[in-house]
Amino acid sequence: MLALAADFIRRFARNRAALVGFVLVIVVIGIALSAPWLFPRNPLRIVGRPEIWPFTTSRFPLGTDSLGRDIAAMIAYGARTTLLIGLCASLTATIIGISVGATAAFFGGWVDELLMRLTELFQTIPNLIFVLTIVSILGQKIEYVTIAVGIVTWTPIARLTRAEFMSLRDREFVQACRSMGMGNLRIMFGEILPNALPPVIVLSSLVIAGAVLFESAVSFLGLGDPNISSWGRLIGDGRTLIRSSWYICAVPGVAIMLTVLALNLVGDGLNDALNPKLRDR
Amino acid sequence: MPLLSVRSLCVQYQGAGGTVRAVDDVSFDLEAGETVGLVGESGCGKSTLGKAVMRLVPSSDGLVILDGQNLTSMQPGVLKAARKNIQMIFQDPYSSLNPRHDIGTIVGQPLSVAGWSRRDIRGRVAELMGQVGLPAEAVRRYPHEFSGGQRQRIGIARALALSPKVIICDEPVSALDVSVRAQVINLLKDLQQATGVAYLFISHDLSVVEHISDRLIVMYLGRIVESGRGEDIWRRPAHPYTHALLAAAPVADPRLARSRNKSVLQGELPSPLNPPPGCSFNTRCPMARERCRVDQPVLRTLADGRMVACHYDLHQQPEALPAVSVAR
Amino acid sequence: MATDRVSEPTPVLAIDKLEVSLFTRRGVLPAVDGLSLTVAAGETVAIVGESGCGKSLAALAVMRLLPEPPARIVGGAVRFLGRDLAALSDREMQRVRGKDISMIFQDPMTSLNPVVTVGDQLIEAIRRHTAVSRREAGDRAVELLRQVRIPDAERRLDDYPHQMSGGMSQRVMIAMAIACGPQLLIADEPTTALDVTVQAQILGLLKELQTESGMGLIIITHDLGVVAETADRVVVMYAGRKVEEARVGALFERPLHPYTRGLLGATPSAVRRRGGRLVEIAGSVPALSDLPVGCAFQNRCPDVFDRCRAARPALASLLPQQSVACFAVEEEVSRHAAAVGT
Repeated sequence: MLALAADFIRRFARNRAALVGFVLVIVVIGIALSAPWLFPRNPLRIVGRPEIWPFTTSRFPLGTDSLGRDIAAMIAYGARTTLLIGLCASLTATIIGISVGATAAFFGGWVDELLMRLTELFQTIPNLIFVLTIVSILGQKIEYVTIAVGIVTWTPIARLTRAEFMSLRDREFVQACRSMGMGNLRIMFGEILPNALPPVIVLSSLVIAGAVLFESAVSFLGLGDPNISSWGRLIGDGRTLIRSSWYICAVPGVAIMLTVLALNLVGDGLNDALNPKLRDR
Repeated sequence: MPLLSVRSLCVQYQGAGGTVRAVDDVSFDLEAGETVGLVGESGCGKSTLGKAVMRLVPSSDGLVILDGQNLTSMQPGVLKAARKNIQMIFQDPYSSLNPRHDIGTIVGQPLSVAGWSRRDIRGRVAELMGQVGLPAEAVRRYPHEFSGGQRQRIGIARALALSPKVIICDEPVSALDVSVRAQVINLLKDLQQATGVAYLFISHDLSVVEHISDRLIVMYLGRIVESGRGEDIWRRPAHPYTHALLAAAPVADPRLARSRNKSVLQGELPSPLNPPPGCSFNTRCPMARERCRVDQPVLRTLADGRMVACHYDLHQQPEALPAVSVAR
Repeated sequence: MATDRVSEPTPVLAIDKLEVSLFTRRGVLPAVDGLSLTVAAGETVAIVGESGCGKSLAALAVMRLLPEPPARIVGGAVRFLGRDLAALSDREMQRVRGKDISMIFQDPMTSLNPVVTVGDQLIEAIRRHTAVSRREAGDRAVELLRQVRIPDAERRLDDYPHQMSGGMSQRVMIAMAIACGPQLLIADEPTTALDVTVQAQILGLLKELQTESGMGLIIITHDLGVVAETADRVVVMYAGRKVEEARVGALFERPLHPYTRGLLGATPSAVRRRGGRLVEIAGSVPALSDLPVGCAFQNRCPDVFDRCRAARPALASLLPQQSVACFAVEEEVSRHAAAVGT
């Protein structure tokens, strides 16, 4: 196993862009984790004059927003929100997606039909509207936003898992397992899943990026959790001042863009590292 | 009583254009310790037959009786226990081993499924590795570190784990290089000598089958057209299709190859969705008459114990087809 | 190259010490190492060897179809009717490919474009090199399909590749390859993916086409049976090097190189006693990155001795029209010559 891990790290590191993305993600995680130390007080408190430009005073390195709140503090705490939602939503989506896809592919027949119609149903509902609907029904709390985003992003994972399972199901090593009397569950989880995971992992990393964008959109529209600092909300709050103090939108916007870009680069790197066909090229 | 008895086995499935009878009323026996070769070209159903005997694909009709037990009507729980007597070796060394497991796990899987203890499994796996000629320390390595021939050996070790009485070999050497094939074929023969296992050897390569089989079954479009002792069939084929196969098979001897009469079989394999009426070979048979287009021939026994599915007797009308080289 | 100096005009193809290297992360691998062979008009040369011996790469090098990273021709010349193909520009080579030299590949299902009809592919091949109208090309296409024995040729023009069987697709490939009357046809494992009865038809067809047109034919295969059936001369390759070359009768009757002997011994055949043990060649083909110093076959050779590990044996024409690269055979022959007093 150790040899496989070392091999994987080496292949990942070959992709320079992926390394840059990885470093960026680490930086974001670092900021998120160190937020309580860097900015010990509630970031939503008003601490200064409104609309101070970034890089003008050392007290507010990224300036203040329309109400006088420290943007740097909100960015730092916003990183926590972003990562939390991204990870949890992606995890939710992955669990749902793998379960649905694997079950559909393995059992086939009417089970497959049923689950695929269900997947299509979720796919045809416009994503953002669905999230907004769930949030407005359940309430504007961060947990519900997470669940909503998770529910909306599982379908591509399900499809991919199903496709991978179907192609692996008829491989000879699976037939060998059937011919020795191995039970279905053990075949699904012990034999097929470890081989199906790599592309699913890649997709999951991209789903994190998607979740980040969703959350930003929800908060931008003012439907996110009002007690939590969030990048999307910052942008939304700065909407009215975009002509004069456009930095209020730009700074969180850049933060979102860099994070999503970093996640995509990491996803590409994972794809190269986990994809055996690109070995030794 | 023969070790393995297959009676009137039928496998059909729904294809895009209709029902395909992949295996159509096939019956044969396999005695303990013998090797029966199963030959035919693509679409003849030999691989499907092998999988149906293993109960990897469901059969629509017929019986498979192994060691007195009827496998076709068994419940899954009982079938699992019966499975230890019949195992399979697959064609593609690159997809027959799970790339994420190490060799020790792969070879020990049948034992693990059968409930052996970990210590016993380790011991047996070491024994098996020795039997197939692989170094003991290979158990910790992964399939991608081995060559095609070595992977086939691993597959053979896995098939031998529970000491089965029958091993179905589905094109075990077709994907290997020539020099490696010899290693694997010799290994299979040695193992048969040592353990008394019986083989159902499926292949499209006539020379390999000829080399290893005691008896032979020739299939065409899902049906058996000829079966009997290998030597008898090669020397004097009784069915026009067998005759055509022999005539077409390349011979590794230039003088023989150029001197013999090459009556090349014309035409293409008919679509299995739409087999010809009567004898399925009639569209390409140089001997075909009216009756062939109407009546499907049944297997009948000849004087020397062979079975042939043909309305006419090739031996009685040798002028109908040019002689296949006598040197066989 | 010295083996075939019968009173002949310029051979159709003369490969001269061709070297093709693969530039990979693990270093530069000599995939084809100093290969020389000639093909005369109307002659069939078989290149035989197992996976990784470089036979396919050599053919691609002749056609200048090597996958540019990682492969590249790094030495030697490929002379087609006297012209060095390795020195031609891309545009000039495009005029040669498909017209003077053609190639057919192993799997017809993946060699034909699945979204274009057979007729259109044939017409494209014809019009690429001959200035004819579409209608004339269409007529020629039907003629070609008839030449390769495809029944109902007119209607077949509108078929897509997936509607045809393996054997028929291979015939279409052959038709495309001979469309412009090439002087050399390279067939890379043309029948490996086909059933044995179809294989016999296709090999028969290739030989017939050769007799009609007088073109040279190179058949690349790992199947000694196919070699025996079709070849006039045989080149045996191992780990990128040529180890033996002979006329086909001589090769099968008295194979000299231990590898050739091993291959023949490993082939089950009716000529040998049924049920006997097949000759095994111990070990497996060495990876190109792990080639030993000296003879590439040393670790598997039953006749290996010290000299084999020190230097690479060169091809020597030890018998008329048969050359072999092996020290053990050289010693044997010189011992024999000394004993006879020549």
